[in-house]
Amino acid sequence: MREIIAAIFIIMGIIVFLLSMFGVFRFKYVLNRIHAAALGDTLGLGSIVVGLMILGTDFFAGAKLFLIILFFWLSGPIATHSIAKVEILTNKNYEERVRDK
Amino acid sequence: MGEKKSVWEHLKAWVDGEEVILDADKYIVNRSKREKKNWRRNFSMEYIRGNVKLYRFLSIAISVLFIGIMLSVVNDLPEFGNPANPADNEVMERYLESGIEETGATNFVAGMILDYRAFDTFGEANVLFLAVMCVVLLLKKDQKNYSAKEEQENREDDFFDENEKRPILQIGGKLLAPLIILYGIYVILNGHLSPGGGFSGGTIIGAGLILYASAYGQKKMQTFFTFRTFTLICVGGLLTYCACKSYSFFTGANHVGFEIPKGIPGHILSAGFILPLNICVGLIVACTMYGFYALFTKGDI
Repeated sequence: MREIIAAIFIIMGIIVFLLSMFGVFRFKYVLNRIHAAALGDTLGLGSIVVGLMILGTDFFAGAKLFLIILFFWLSGPIATHSIAKVEILTNKNYEERVRDK
Repeated sequence: MGEKKSVWEHLKAWVDGEEVILDADKYIVNRSKREKKNWRRNFSMEYIRGNVKLYRFLSIAISVLFIGIMLSVVNDLPEFGNPANPADNEVMERYLESGIEETGATNFVAGMILDYRAFDTFGEANVLFLAVMCVVLLLKKDQKNYSAKEEQENREDDFFDENEKRPILQIGGKLLAPLIILYGIYVILNGHLSPGGGFSGGTIIGAGLILYASAYGQKKMQTFFTFRTFTLICVGGLLTYCACKSYSFFTGANHVGFEIPKGIPGHILSAGFILPLNICVGLIVACTMYGFYALFTKGDI
């Protein structure tokens, strides 16, 4: 039973990663692309690590995996936010923001 | 001379003395300059769109060619798992059997790169130092290569650094940078016990410093990390490395009369010179990482 729940979580994470990779290559504009990339970094990685936590029996291994989630959920959105802010502040081309090419 | 001749016929006539240029000075003044042929062809988009099939064929052909070269090289490699391979010869056996006894490090990689092949690692550290010195030479600001326009831009950058509010990045940097630097120190100090070592730990410390600098601005960074500390740490690390390794090589490279105690393998204070050498390499790598970032963003450390 435990393995099945863990497998569901891990497969869900892999699907999210696939979608985010697809988005990074499909979209053309920076903000769309970082939206797609941040999806994989937070939700995909989070569900994969949750699956590994369910799979593992050791308590301390689970705690370390939880630290990994904490680190990525702290650092990933901050990095995304910084990139988006720089893009908004420096790109004066309004047409590029609105229309997709 | 009215009819057209080829270049060889002209040359033959000139050698035979049949053909001379009368009033050559006038000819040289008046001759039209030969058009320079543009060897760097600019491919227009129409040209490329018209030849899509050719480009596809060429790209596939080049890929197939390289795949063929790679596969033929792989085919010539020794068979995997064969005990007579050059990779499985007595050198590896010697390292695995007497590595702990000779170096005192439970991490064989650290024992190899910082004890058996310490000169090689010294060269790598020197390469890093040389690279950052070249960047300093090219990009550092001083009075000679510093114009008024750059000064103006710099002042604007400083103004933005001081007045721009970035609370998210600052809180994140405050929380994460100490943890990242602490983890880097752990990786360096445990280089002889667990995977890691000077290069990877130094890179982690450099990443933490870059995060702090990007969150709080270069001015706050300069309260504890100036160009003077940068040079002192780099040169001091290299000289310490050189002194340690010179001692062990001059007392006999095979550890004859080697006075530094090895300690018990697995303890933090063991493995002779590997721990201080790891610290030196880690400091140099961290300074190099942060130095590259600072020089490329602002031109000053």
